Amino acid sequence: MTLLPLVFICPLVGALLLAFLRGMPQRLAALIGVGSIALSALSVAVIAVTYLGGDHTPVTVTLWQWISVGDFTPRFSLYVDGLTITMLGVITGVGFLIHLFASWYMTEDLKDATGYLYTRFFAYMNLFVFSMLLLVLADNLMLLYLGWEGVGLCSYLLIGYYYRDLDNARAAFKAFIVTRVGDVFLAIGMFILYARFQTLDIQTLLALAPEAWSKGDMMAELAALMLLGGAVGKSAQLPLQTWLADAMAGPTPVSALIHAATMVTAGVYLIARTHVIFELAPMTLGLVGIVGALTLLIAGLSALAQTDIKRVLAYSTMSQIGYMFLALGVQAWDAAIFHLMIHAFFKALLFLTSGSVIIACHHEQNMFRMGGLRKPLKLAYACFLVGGSALAALPLVTAGFYSKDEILWLSFASGHEVLWAFGLMGAFLTSVYTFRMIFIVFHGEEKTRAHAPHGLAHHLPLVVLLVLSTFIGAFIHPPLAGVLPASPEGDAEGLQLVLEVVSSIVAILGLGIAAALFLGRRRLVSALVKTDIGRTGWHFLHNAFAFDQLYNMLFVKPFLAIAWLHRVDWINALVNIWPWLAKQAHRGLSASQTGRIRWYAGSITAGATIMLALLVLG
Amino acid sequence: MEQIAQHWSVAIFVVAVFGLCAFMVGLASLLGGRAWGHQKNTPFESGIVPVGSAHQRFSVKFYMVAMLFVIFDVEALFLFAWAVTVRESGWTGFVEAFIFIVVLLAGLIYLSRVGALDWAPIKRAKEIKTSS
Amino acid sequence: MNLTTSHLIALLPLMLVCATVVIVMLAVAWRRNHFMSATLTVIGLNAALLALIPAAQVAPIQVTPLLMVDHYSLFYMGLILVAALACTTLAYAYLETLPDQRDEFYMLLGCSVAGALVLVASQHLTSLFIGLELMSVPLYGLSGYAFKERTSLESGIKYMVLSAMASAFLLFGMALLYAESGTLSFTGLGQQLSAGGLASNWVILGVGMMVVGLGFKLSIAPFHLWTPDVYEGAPAPVSAFLATVSKVAVFAMLMRLFSLAPATADGWLHTIIAVLAVLSMVVGNLLALMQSNLKRIIGYSSIAHLGYLLTALVASDGLALEATAVYLVTYVATVLGAFGVITLVSSPYRGADAGLLYHYRGLFWRRPYLTAVLTVMMLSLAGIPMTAGFIGKFYVFSVGVESSLWWLVGGVVLGSALGLYYYLRVMVTLYLSPAEQPGRDAPHDWAQQVGGLMVLVLAVLVLIMGVYPQPLIDLAQMAGLQFPI
Repeated sequence: MTLLPLVFICPLVGALLLAFLRGMPQRLAALIGVGSIALSALSVAVIAVTYLGGDHTPVTVTLWQWISVGDFTPRFSLYVDGLTITMLGVITGVGFLIHLFASWYMTEDLKDATGYLYTRFFAYMNLFVFSMLLLVLADNLMLLYLGWEGVGLCSYLLIGYYYRDLDNARAAFKAFIVTRVGDVFLAIGMFILYARFQTLDIQTLLALAPEAWSKGDMMAELAALMLLGGAVGKSAQLPLQTWLADAMAGPTPVSALIHAATMVTAGVYLIARTHVIFELAPMTLGLVGIVGALTLLIAGLSALAQTDIKRVLAYSTMSQIGYMFLALGVQAWDAAIFHLMIHAFFKALLFLTSGSVIIACHHEQNMFRMGGLRKPLKLAYACFLVGGSALAALPLVTAGFYSKDEILWLSFASGHEVLWAFGLMGAFLTSVYTFRMIFIVFHGEEKTRAHAPHGLAHHLPLVVLLVLSTFIGAFIHPPLAGVLPASPEGDAEGLQLVLEVVSSIVAILGLGIAAALFLGRRRLVSALVKTDIGRTGWHFLHNAFAFDQLYNMLFVKPFLAIAWLHRVDWINALVNIWPWLAKQAHRGLSASQTGRIRWYAGSITAGATIMLALLVLG
Repeated sequence: MEQIAQHWSVAIFVVAVFGLCAFMVGLASLLGGRAWGHQKNTPFESGIVPVGSAHQRFSVKFYMVAMLFVIFDVEALFLFAWAVTVRESGWTGFVEAFIFIVVLLAGLIYLSRVGALDWAPIKRAKEIKTSS
Repeated sequence: MNLTTSHLIALLPLMLVCATVVIVMLAVAWRRNHFMSATLTVIGLNAALLALIPAAQVAPIQVTPLLMVDHYSLFYMGLILVAALACTTLAYAYLETLPDQRDEFYMLLGCSVAGALVLVASQHLTSLFIGLELMSVPLYGLSGYAFKERTSLESGIKYMVLSAMASAFLLFGMALLYAESGTLSFTGLGQQLSAGGLASNWVILGVGMMVVGLGFKLSIAPFHLWTPDVYEGAPAPVSAFLATVSKVAVFAMLMRLFSLAPATADGWLHTIIAVLAVLSMVVGNLLALMQSNLKRIIGYSSIAHLGYLLTALVASDGLALEATAVYLVTYVATVLGAFGVITLVSSPYRGADAGLLYHYRGLFWRRPYLTAVLTVMMLSLAGIPMTAGFIGKFYVFSVGVESSLWWLVGGVVLGSALGLYYYLRVMVTLYLSPAEQPGRDAPHDWAQQVGGLMVLVLAVLVLIMGVYPQPLIDLAQMAGLQFPI
């Protein structure tokens, strides 16, 4: 455990080096940026081995105590258990592969860019990894919040990485502001917890909460609801899901790392980490499941009508996180974390491959302008097939099958049949949109000339992630025993088998429908879209159920209207009295600074006289 | 009671002092004769007509030497106190007095080296040296 | 009483500083060499700093009835010596531009430091007065050191005249106390005065007059008017010295006086000091609000900061001593850094110092790291978390809350809010687009100079103390006051 500080110090040092020595050559920048994550990943590996080799007891490492004034002793300490190890592994492992890929991707992307873009990119990325590590390592909600805001900041910076394009800057604003709404809820949740327990140490909180609150206590419900608010914002779930699709404005490795593999799953982590509080709040816990189910359906439907390859993946991310929330909602904690890990593998694979495809097609992101890439881009095709199968959870051979089916089975077994039905529908949709994407991009006639990328930094991450996305990845089981409560077991093994068969059939059915619709001439689809209903429906789905327009009407417009009404700033005019008073007082007092020595002497005498008179008479 | 009596005596004393002054000045102005004239407004310089302004500027050297004299003179006073008790203060006192004198000596050396004791300004002293 | 070896060891830091002055004087008499004088001074001050270690082993020990060398005084001696070293390094580059007579600066500085050392160790009104005058008199000379500048000369004279007046108050107060109690030692005063129950009017008057005299040195409102003028006029290293060493020494002594001689049993004095504290916080911050001269801003802010510190004096129990120690350390580091930057920017030029904010406009675009240093210092002065200033302010808060001094806590809050405005104004200025004719700029190799290095180290220190203040707190807890038996 002595290596623990190294885990997050490496990325921090990397970020600082890159930020301050920004004039360095690209190769060195890549070395520092990727190397720091590699070191961090190595440290995680060592820690994981010692932890798993030991008796799996959680460890608290106090790095330093900030100050100790009287009873006030804020500590800076880290907490390591199976959940932490899993998250660390995902963040540094997948993070390292993505960084490695990014060193290739950004070189290609910035071929004719000037300035310090390259070092800036890696500085932000390293800073992100640092914040994310802090988030999962934190033993204290305050420290977690620091990491939470840190990843939000880095997400903002990286979405708006090409900030000269106004749309990108807007997307960055949107992501930042929408997630900030969730963060406010999280902060309120922390206030509630602190007000009740006088501490923000997570483990202490989790120990104290069951004693203070009975199951279903209103305060517990409220606290859990507020935490859920934070999780929903960060993980792009209903109703704060609108930012994620726009966040694809950032470079593709960013989408892979932040908006697929790690940051967006922070909400899942938060709920899993504070599961005790959620268990005391059954209503909110139910809400978690409902949020997940709704999101996965809505996102799945929206993904059907996207033209941008990255937006398809973004909606699929939302829907997969919906599955995780669903799992959390039915108290299948392990399954949620397991799916989180597997999802990180195959979604990183898909995003990186899409980045590779985009570069190969000269920065083309519209799927309908690609087509027929099967032959020139063989590796990318293989990656998409494997990653897509994992996403669609094709039976037996893919990792996604094992993780997703566990969620579906546990939701059924715990008696949430409705949620299960939603999940099943979602699985069907997933399969359809995934293979729609693959068929459009890689089959049909060739529309652009693509250059196959090469280089170890390009191939290695893809191949490793490809292997992890197959059933091999499913052998990695998160060491969660004892950390999270065991999931409610179903009664019949036979039933599980039946359900697995059902969901497999659903997935294959989706594949079949996608093949029928999008392989070949796509006559049926074109005909469908030409009808009025078809077009409206398509637009409705394309705009993701028009949430943006809805929020625009509900919040942005009224807000702007209020702002417009308030342009004279009535309240501020009232508040401005104070600065005005201060200025007048300043002016009055400044008159006393005459610079004349006799006036100064006089003032001392006068002050002394008044003071002594008061003393003697008082 | 006694305190109040003391306060009274002080008060009477103060009043008496002011009274006496007022009395002397007032009586002189009442009883004395008066004469007016141009000569009365000129300063009395033992019969000689004053020449030039009284606001003369003296060389800073006068003040300098005066100050140095006062400083060393007052420091030397401390030695009297020691000299009276030289036996009682013993070796400790001797060492302390010795250090004191050494510090004074160092100061004197410094002063003479920086030219604080030279009457002529440094620049002119150099001129004199080079010309001779 | 006999002087033994341990007494001499306890006095060693003080003696070394005095010896340094004499040696520098002889060296100048032998040959005038600026570098040599500065080096000798630095060596002497460092030796004195090292001598604190053996002194700490014999402490606490009473050396003659006048001085008490305990951990408390050693802590502040250390702080004073470090601050003096910083001022010396800053002064070196600064003096290079003066036409002549640079070496005397170091002698005056040494004398002043010796006075400050006496002051923090004093437990007797006599040594208090000697120390105070020994510290202040050289400061008159130092403030007017760049006498070819009118402002410098003016500040020297102003400080001298007003200081003399304050000393008169102080002496009169001491005389009154002596008349009532017949003793001059702090503890003696405490015993005599508390024996008679309610303090008589003469005692209250005496203590009050002493507060006036010392309040002047600490520039507490309403005895503060001299501060900005002197800070502005004096050479920047001297302003740094004035703002740090003289304040630390006087405040440490005042704290000891109030702890050992609680002639303050009368609640009125407490009330008056609390009123002065609130007045200082508010007046200091208000005066700085629209100020356009950086040196004056720091002067005003020092009025406010001393006001914050008085909270600890009013509380006088519990965390108060620890709070004072922590606050003074953080304040000294911060102010030294700020004046350090001013010195670096002013040094390469003849004429008045670069005090105007205009000179610092857009400094960031020319000297990013130096600007970062000044930014850190301003943040620290404003008491932003993760800087040293926050820790100090936090302590003052806890002391105020602990002793339920709600008015003072309110004053600190109000003062901090006001303060933020002008600290931010300074920071904003640094990052604006550069002025057409910058006029002043630090030399290119400022970071390679001793002063530049020192400023960088201070900036790092301020950040470290903000992030990891525990060692400082431990040190401050060790600096306990020794009550003589």
